[in-house]
Amino acid sequence: MIEDIQAGLSRREMLRRMSAGFGMLSMAGMTAPARAFADSATHSPQFAPRAKRIIFLFLNGGPSHIDTFDPKPALKKFEGQKPTGDFYRKVKGTGFMPSPFTFKRCGQSGIEVCETLPNLSRIIDDCCVIRSMKTDVPNHEPALLQMHTGNVQPIRPSMGSWLLYGLGSENENLPGYVVLRPSSKIVVGPALWSNSFLPAEYQATSVITADMQVEKLVANIRSSTLTVQQQREDLDMLGRLNRMHLKKRDADPELEGQIKAMETAFRMQKEAMRTFDINREPEHVRKMYGDTTFGRSCLLARRLVEDGVRFVTVYYTSDQDNQPWDTHSNHDARHPKLCADADRAGAALISDLKARGLLEDTLVIWGGEFGRTPYAENPEKSKAGRDHHHTAFSMLLAGGGVKGGTVYGTSDEFGLNVAENPVHVHDLHATVLHLLGIDHTKLTYRYAGRDFRLTDVYGNVVKPILA
Amino acid sequence: MHRIVTCIKYAGILTAALCFRLPAVADTPAPAPPGSTIDWSREQRFWSFQKPRAQTRPVVKNVRWPRVPLDYFIMARLERTGLTPSPEADRRTLVRRVTFDVTGLPPTPDEVTQFLEDKRTGAYERLVQRLLDSRRFGERMASMWLPLARYAEDQAHQVGDDTMYFYPNAYKYRDWVIGAFNRDLPYDQFVRLQLAADKIDKILKAAPAAKDSDLAALGFLGLGPKYYDRGKLGVMADEWEDRVDTVTRTFLGLTVSCARCHDHKFDPITARDYYALAGVFASTKMVNRKPDGQAEKGDVKADKMNPGTLHVVEDGAATNLNVFIRGNVEQKGPLVERRFLRVLCDSEPPPFKEGSGRGDLAGAIASRENPLTARVIVNRVWGLLFGRPLVDTPSNFGRRGSLPTHPEMLDDLAVRFMDGGWSIKSLVREIALSSAYRQGSASDAKKAEIDAPNLLLWRMNRRRLTVEQWRDATLFLSGELKWEGENSPDLDNPANHRRTVCARISRLNLNGVLALFDYPDANVHAEKRSVTTTPTQKLFMLNSPFMMGRARALAARIAAQSDENDPARVRRAYQMLFGRDADPSELKIALEFLRRPAAAGMTRWEQYAQMLLASNEMLFVD
Repeated sequence: MIEDIQAGLSRREMLRRMSAGFGMLSMAGMTAPARAFADSATHSPQFAPRAKRIIFLFLNGGPSHIDTFDPKPALKKFEGQKPTGDFYRKVKGTGFMPSPFTFKRCGQSGIEVCETLPNLSRIIDDCCVIRSMKTDVPNHEPALLQMHTGNVQPIRPSMGSWLLYGLGSENENLPGYVVLRPSSKIVVGPALWSNSFLPAEYQATSVITADMQVEKLVANIRSSTLTVQQQREDLDMLGRLNRMHLKKRDADPELEGQIKAMETAFRMQKEAMRTFDINREPEHVRKMYGDTTFGRSCLLARRLVEDGVRFVTVYYTSDQDNQPWDTHSNHDARHPKLCADADRAGAALISDLKARGLLEDTLVIWGGEFGRTPYAENPEKSKAGRDHHHTAFSMLLAGGGVKGGTVYGTSDEFGLNVAENPVHVHDLHATVLHLLGIDHTKLTYRYAGRDFRLTDVYGNVVKPILA
Repeated sequence: MHRIVTCIKYAGILTAALCFRLPAVADTPAPAPPGSTIDWSREQRFWSFQKPRAQTRPVVKNVRWPRVPLDYFIMARLERTGLTPSPEADRRTLVRRVTFDVTGLPPTPDEVTQFLEDKRTGAYERLVQRLLDSRRFGERMASMWLPLARYAEDQAHQVGDDTMYFYPNAYKYRDWVIGAFNRDLPYDQFVRLQLAADKIDKILKAAPAAKDSDLAALGFLGLGPKYYDRGKLGVMADEWEDRVDTVTRTFLGLTVSCARCHDHKFDPITARDYYALAGVFASTKMVNRKPDGQAEKGDVKADKMNPGTLHVVEDGAATNLNVFIRGNVEQKGPLVERRFLRVLCDSEPPPFKEGSGRGDLAGAIASRENPLTARVIVNRVWGLLFGRPLVDTPSNFGRRGSLPTHPEMLDDLAVRFMDGGWSIKSLVREIALSSAYRQGSASDAKKAEIDAPNLLLWRMNRRRLTVEQWRDATLFLSGELKWEGENSPDLDNPANHRRTVCARISRLNLNGVLALFDYPDANVHAEKRSVTTTPTQKLFMLNSPFMMGRARALAARIAAQSDENDPARVRRAYQMLFGRDADPSELKIALEFLRRPAAAGMTRWEQYAQMLLASNEMLFVD
């Protein structure tokens, strides 16, 4: 008889149906690994994860690699000359523009870091610098999308949603994927943290950090009228009604799931109120991160991962500018100011995670959607800037199974093109998934008749940077 | 730009696909290995590529149970499996169920009473007819249709504050869809108009109900995504993929866009087939058409467009495309004439003749000869009323899709659907009137042992309301739902009390409430919705200003509609929300709760009303 029924169903369907009821009960599928990989017909466990969680410090607009992690003395020598021959580019301005900042060898590893990043310089032995990043398009929107979803068009799930789908959440009283942004004006916007065709339970919880009062951070986190005790009374009454309703309906697991979700929500109010409240941090810790939007967000990110949030993205934008690192003009003056903030908070976060023993299984990524040109862009009314640059840029990684004190890849003498060991965005994604114990070729989701991956058909794990 | 669409792990999937036994409905060959020449007549033996056949009515032992033809198929299958159907749901359950299913709203207490007291024969039939005649029917059906058409009013990409690619009058397409369902526009015409309403005179014979206002139907294509840097060949190739994908999955249940980079790995769809269809869209322009018939000129921002402008398509220069080898627009393969899919034709399909070929394409889809079109829509409507379609992958009737649980019934419904003039209302009517649909939803341990997922429909499925049903019902109960108003109001506007189907849908920033309650991403065709249960949904129920506002209004409404004493009010609340009387224990719980001291800022009644709105009984239909 069973065969008769199964006749109408594929094995995959049966698997999916059998697991569906269970999956629905958990907030982001604590059993999600089995489901994610069963869907792709892969059953073998992957491998031991090195990282359990990720914090992506995203510097919107594209920070200059020339003025952060990739020193190019040749630019001084060829200052003002336009790239020719093999290096030819159509240049809008006056030609090569050296960094006005000095680079120093830092730490035991002796990695050269720009003076604009004094705090990251000090902890560079905990970090891995990739100097050979590449992306496909030198425009913000597609490059942002590629860095977040692997694809330049906005119809794919984000890395955080993929991870939640693959690994589930570590704390069901908190959302598994949190996006911290200073305002609603992030270029591209929600497509960057979209679950797209993955089920809605893998969607990000987006938090606007302009006002750090907890009620302002998390939508509907607290009743505006009732005390916790009064709300408990409400829910006790509702619980009785729901259980009577359930009893008449043969303990339908879907109805039970609703009851459980309501209780989780009640607990979440308390837990989120605590986790999201950075005022619980001692003064010296808050000082260490810096009293800026980005600093406070980095501190909040640490509190979130500490309490089991799987993936946190912190966007760096400002009140005046939704992509401040996009320094087309007046670069030499704007860049160090941005660095001061991002350097301090980034280094504080890495050190703080390390002091708490969290760095070893928390991966921190520091970077933007691309780098900036080694040659000048000369706007009419202001000082020179740097344009978008996608064929070589730098990214900083720390913790989570990445080898500290290493440099990977090189760009050519001008920082124009990758010279050795290119790391495409797809390779970065493959590596990140690998650090979390996932084979990027096996984390798939069937949609519209085919199996999708974060890395599409690309991606190689950058093994030399693994600890 | 070089691009290969993801298709991975074929080996693993192939093994899985062969693990199940196929039903006896069709002689289904194993898929040909990729790369070999396609044996078309062999491929056309796959069940969904064979024309649906009228079926003889199955013989059943229990001849008293079936009411409508489909019941015989359900019963025969149950009997063969040793199962029996569940007893009919009580009348209160039925009226609530069918009202939600057909109109997306709960019945009023008066409507419940009226139905309960109608002791004449045909009371239920009259109820169903009244619901089908209601304007609310079209709104409910549009909630099903719009996500298939990836309906939205803007673009996922917005550079700066540039809104020239937005669709400020998108609602005209939405309103057309609602109207089409309400006037029961035959489905074949519904299809033709959405693909080629601009060719009314050319396809007039095939679409006699068409009129000028039907131009809005072209929004199906005209509201499609426009991608960043459009105009470049690689980007346009992405847009054509969207059109091919949306059209073929919506109407045919086929994933033709899989064949953009290589022949489809599982289905008999070649890259040539893909480019034959993509050529139709390469020959079609998206235009903002003013009421005078002229296109808006240049880059007009959304707020500067004429309020009568329709976002539609028209023919451009007819262009055949080369196959792009591995999807790479730089690598041109053979030129392909615009034509229909080979597997759905008896022989090599003739080239499309007229203009872009959209009219020909529309004709080939909306045709009795097409084995898929009727089956696909019948399956979707079935899914709307039963909570699970017969083919559980409603936009994929190919090899990677699910097989129908009741293939003969699907065929029979599809054939009679076409014979009866492609009437959606008749289809909904037959399903709603069936004994299968009228079953109770209670489980049964013994039957569940045999068929736990209820694939054979030995009971009705219990279903959670969609976000549209839930929000509309909440506003309806609080007495605040508005039928008319602004065209596409934002759901975040607290004054927006219109039906959810009218809410502004964004590709750039999908409204938070919609996203929270599983409304799909509007960037792509949505085969079906996920149904997730999350604590963040419950936080909304507990603390959102929306819920507080509705609770206050509901409490006031209950007070206004009943006697002053609490027991009467509680009874009234149960009648309004659940269409039934409160039982003594429920009444007792309510009275205990209402007696306690109120919090500052909320009365006990408001708190109680909010909890009823947040209850499982409110959220589910038995």
